Amino acid sequence: MTEPLLKITDLKTHFFGDDGVVIAVDGVTITVNKGETVGIVGESGCGKSVTSLSIMRLLQDTPGQVVGGSIEFENKNILEISEKEMRGIRGNDIAMIFQEPMTSLNPVYKIGKQLEEAIRLHLKYDKKRAHKHAIRMLELVGLPRAKQLMNEFPYQLSGGMRQRVMIAMAMACSPKLLIADEPTTALDVTIQAQILELMQELRETSETAIMLITHDLGVVAEMCDRVVVMYAGKVVEETDVITLFEDPKHPYTKGLIGSVPKLGENAEELDSIPGNVPTPYNMPNGCKFAPRCKFAMEKCWEIDPNLIETENDHLVRCLLFQNKQVEVEL
Amino acid sequence: MFRFFIKRVIGIIPILFIVSIFIFLFVHMIPGDPARLVAGQDATIEDVENVREQLGLDKPIHVQYLNFVDGIFKGDFGVSLKTSRPVYDEIAMRFMPTFWLTVWSMVFAIIFGLLIGVISATKRNKWQDYLGMFGAVSGISVPSFWLGLVLIQIFAVMLGWLPTGGLESWKSYILPSVTLGAGVAAVIARFTRSSLMDILREDYIRTGRAKGLKNNKVVWGHGLKNAMIPVVTMTGLQFGFLLGGSIVIETVFSWPGLGRLLIDSVAFRDYPVIQAEMLLFALEFIVINLVVDLLYGFLNPQIRYD
Repeated sequence: MTEPLLKITDLKTHFFGDDGVVIAVDGVTITVNKGETVGIVGESGCGKSVTSLSIMRLLQDTPGQVVGGSIEFENKNILEISEKEMRGIRGNDIAMIFQEPMTSLNPVYKIGKQLEEAIRLHLKYDKKRAHKHAIRMLELVGLPRAKQLMNEFPYQLSGGMRQRVMIAMAMACSPKLLIADEPTTALDVTIQAQILELMQELRETSETAIMLITHDLGVVAEMCDRVVVMYAGKVVEETDVITLFEDPKHPYTKGLIGSVPKLGENAEELDSIPGNVPTPYNMPNGCKFAPRCKFAMEKCWEIDPNLIETENDHLVRCLLFQNKQVEVEL
Repeated sequence: MFRFFIKRVIGIIPILFIVSIFIFLFVHMIPGDPARLVAGQDATIEDVENVREQLGLDKPIHVQYLNFVDGIFKGDFGVSLKTSRPVYDEIAMRFMPTFWLTVWSMVFAIIFGLLIGVISATKRNKWQDYLGMFGAVSGISVPSFWLGLVLIQIFAVMLGWLPTGGLESWKSYILPSVTLGAGVAAVIARFTRSSLMDILREDYIRTGRAKGLKNNKVVWGHGLKNAMIPVVTMTGLQFGFLLGGSIVIETVFSWPGLGRLLIDSVAFRDYPVIQAEMLLFALEFIVINLVVDLLYGFLNPQIRYD
């Protein structure tokens, strides 16, 4: 179980726009072990989606480019392999589900064709076998009348159904890693629960590791083994899911957890983290979170802290805890 | 689908009826006296009046129109004033050369337009894009008669590879088709480029890539089919341009087609031929529009015909 499947080390992805360079991902290190579900949490623009697109090497239609670090998948740096080799991995070993089920399916092709495409490409099935496999996948993700669905177009399906189709498509070749980029964000709450349930089922029946990108801590609590919290392109905290909720260390993580409404609590107002994510052109020199941090000290504005291990398997990027450790060492 | 088709075909009749009134009025508004032209320069006023009576041009204009419509229902488009042959024969003889010229120039325009458009869209802001769009802007800006003359000068006169004009063999089709199609190819290229560039930013393109599909399959399969809807509309409209263009091109290449027949007929005030030919152009335009509407259904599954 603890064998690493995906090892991202010091990944740096920059966007080269007209107004200069935007550092979207700034030295991110994440490991996903076989069969494990890792949550990546953070606000919009913290670099979590860009990280996932970097893994898939799907930045080609954007001005983004990986400028440093390595992404090892099964001990092979996939940033260095050829595009042809990468195509053999995409959809086959690493599959992806996107945030927008409404627009992620091609409107002019039938569901069946879109499912069969990847099956025929990677599993080398003939048309008949691919068709059967596609129907089986639709049944597996709990879609009724799978046979008829094969001949329908995306516009005939609801958002929840489309996301199920996307999951069927992603799971069709039994990937070793499934990257789910906000898979439930665009859906109704009841449908969200169904999709999460489906993903949990799939996780239990297959050996697929899941990298779940979300800003929803409820989803994290439900699904994940381990959590990585990102802020402004960097990992600020990483630990197992229980520790994260019981003993969050980084002020940002605390803020995130505090801003989730709790049942039975009669708070007049929800806690929220003041301010906004710093714009890429206006990054603070020191800790990126300092301008919004309740506990910010003077040195926080000058020193950008490193990610350090405070306890067993609990990584935090905050001067508050670096000091503690220094004290312990002394 | 079938019902839609039948409905549209029946709908053609009233449109043609209205069009026929306009055509008739416009043709009769052309200054000049056909009776005078038929009778000849030296004819006496009496001769001219006799000819006018023979041709039925002395009757009130609404009677002339009713005769014209009556003839159409009987399949009789009258007799050419110039050659005294039935109008139907005059047009039938020249229909196929113009038809094939239009088809080949459209084939040329679609192949090159799509190719340039797709390459420009996928190689955005690289030299391939700049070259393609330079070609496209040139294709739109250059007048077709001038392009035709330049091509004749190079390929017929200087190199001697292709005939200068007329219709003798398949080689005769090449220069007129390219000349006629160049403008349309340019417009298709520009539309394809902008449409495909938008489509390539769509989420489902990313889904296609995430499946591990080859770039070509993503662009030509998933991308182009979605990008085609505006291109098809515009290509249908360009057929009208081809009809107009063929009049000029057929003159430049001495093409034995409908365009030249129209020019000759207008010069001679050959009312029956002009009317019949205009009506045919109108019908062609309507049919092309119908084909475009049917193509939408093929391209976009959300369009339903009921």
